[in-house]
Amino acid sequence: MGGDLAPDEIVRGAAEASLSLGAEIILVGDAAVLGRILPQLRHDGARVRVHHAPARVEMDEKPAEALAAKPDASIAVAADLVARGDGDALVSAGNTGASVLACARRWKLLPGVRRSALAAVYPTELRRGDKDDPFSLILDVGATIDASAEDLVTFAVMGSAYAKVVSKNRRPRVALLSNGAEAGKGPAAVVTAHELLLATTELNFIGNVEGLDIPRGFADVIVCNGFVGNVVLKMLEGVSETVVRLARYAHKERLAWRLGLFALSSAIDQLKQITDWQQYGGAPLLGFEHLFIKAHGRSNAHAITNAIKVANKALAGNLCGTIARTMAELDERRRLAAPVAPTP
Amino acid sequence: MSLLGTLRHRLGLGPPPSSSGLLQAVPRHVFRWDLDKTYLRTEFDSIKDLAKAAFENAADKQAYPGAAALLRALRSSEHRITIVSGSPTQMRQVLAAKLALDGVEFDEFVLKNNLKNILRGRFRALRAQIPYKLPALLASRCNSPAAPAETLFGDDAEADAIIYCLYADLLAERVSATDLERILQAARTYEDDALRTLELARRVPKGDPVKRMFIHLDRRSPPQGFRRYGRRLVPVYNYFQTAVVLYGDGVLSARQVLFVAFDMLDSRQFELASLANSLQDLLRRGRLDREVALRLAGEAQAAAKSGALTGRTDLPPFEQIARVFTDRVKELGGAALGWPAEDEPLDYVALVDEEHDRRRDRRRRGH
Repeated sequence: MGGDLAPDEIVRGAAEASLSLGAEIILVGDAAVLGRILPQLRHDGARVRVHHAPARVEMDEKPAEALAAKPDASIAVAADLVARGDGDALVSAGNTGASVLACARRWKLLPGVRRSALAAVYPTELRRGDKDDPFSLILDVGATIDASAEDLVTFAVMGSAYAKVVSKNRRPRVALLSNGAEAGKGPAAVVTAHELLLATTELNFIGNVEGLDIPRGFADVIVCNGFVGNVVLKMLEGVSETVVRLARYAHKERLAWRLGLFALSSAIDQLKQITDWQQYGGAPLLGFEHLFIKAHGRSNAHAITNAIKVANKALAGNLCGTIARTMAELDERRRLAAPVAPTP
Repeated sequence: MSLLGTLRHRLGLGPPPSSSGLLQAVPRHVFRWDLDKTYLRTEFDSIKDLAKAAFENAADKQAYPGAAALLRALRSSEHRITIVSGSPTQMRQVLAAKLALDGVEFDEFVLKNNLKNILRGRFRALRAQIPYKLPALLASRCNSPAAPAETLFGDDAEADAIIYCLYADLLAERVSATDLERILQAARTYEDDALRTLELARRVPKGDPVKRMFIHLDRRSPPQGFRRYGRRLVPVYNYFQTAVVLYGDGVLSARQVLFVAFDMLDSRQFELASLANSLQDLLRRGRLDREVALRLAGEAQAAAKSGALTGRTDLPPFEQIARVFTDRVKELGGAALGWPAEDEPLDYVALVDEEHDRRRDRRRRGH
């Protein structure tokens, strides 16, 4: 029950999801508070369940310290519920570090996965998949700061599976983020990952892409380590916010510019709709036996409903199972391809 | 009465069987039910919906899961079941046939004579709820032995909460004749209907028999909106919740509650988890005590220990039912739950005006 607008907007989003989805929703938080908010909202009382957790990790708390001091924090209790099978997926808008840490301490990684990855979507020029999705997936954006070449391949497998299951993209184009399109460009882990991905027939690997290719949408899944991904994501968010601020400035500055903006208003609205992160639900944490969707800290009810819908869709498409199967196939092929040691 | 006579009555073609003895004895408890959106899953928000409902046959009509099982559980020689519905009298045969198909027996079945309203040019009366239902309830109490206890079942689609509270307050003499007149005016009641209602209110046997009112949240209206109607009115999402509250009131046994639960599980629209969530929802809203919920779980556990079986392999065993119910109670920890509902006098004129505004708003939005 974390997030800047918790608990009201979180409960509101969950209440809406209880009416539109067939899923059972477990709200983990202070039962007395939740019990006061829920009756004020339209919801399905048979599909909503409350699990009492008296504490919560605040947005500005240090994750490890907060989890140690508050073992009954809602994120820890929720991760426990999923670990023991009471829940199938976890959605939170709370402290990202604490959420990832709570999952990592309680959930097992899928066989063949050494590190988890947090994925984020970014709006692009090109659309993709059966649903004509106007965004590409970038992973990792912060779960694994320093990833090896094998980790990057795993991220590619997980991102591709997510695009297949959630975006209904039958053959997602996977790319490595580097400082040049050439195979030899980039740090050693990226160069090696490029070689490994070329040999990975399970994926539709299209090579390296540069930062400027992300918004163009040449790739459906863009793979990088958590450090690079986090910097890229925040820079892209910063650019979007600056554009909006510049437009506001132009609106105030001159009448002619104001008229120009007015003429473009419907197009700007459309653009805003496409780039509205609240439409996309949240960032999935991939690699564990269970699914975690990290909703934006500022998520309102609409964003939370969408995050729950994404989790529901991923569960219905057996995302974790798909990743595990692909990893097993990859492992098997590597094992068969490995040179057999000569018998003495 | 002959079997034919009983059948004619069940099909709504004749008077109730007089030889059953049920009508002559003073009942211990009267259960008054609405039909559409309370018992039957009926859509009447548009002309198309109305036409569909009118031409459906009995087998096509759908009861809400658990409603028929609850009505069967409530039926006993000491209880009386009356149905007061806003459906037109022309539908009596098909509605009575549906109730018969569901194994539901009743003592009284009142429908609305809309043909008469049309012929008299009273178009306002076609959709009016208060001017029709309030006198129907009063007449029913006037014309049969007055029971010491009554439970009313309605829904959130129309003005059932207002009508039922007004009926209860009239019986308890908490609403004066002058106030009733003003309320009927606000409800745009035709003058002769208003006079008839006032007369019925004057001669109805007084007391405070209405112990419970249930409002089925068909529209999923926020339950908070019903707090002002007081503690005895309980908004419910489904009939398991109704059965559990009646268990807490001592009206139903644990066995009967579990029969309602099994009927709902049988419908495949509910799972054990959703029933347990419904139980927890009542606890959170302060409509059920933890002790009552645990007692119900304890009775399921006792059934398991005695070797009782649900009788069906596709239904969860008693042990599992007991465990899941107990877990849902424990999940709430020691948190202080529920807000006490208000038991303040109601301003019925304001409520009627609000209801008119809501209906106008719904019409404007096409609902």
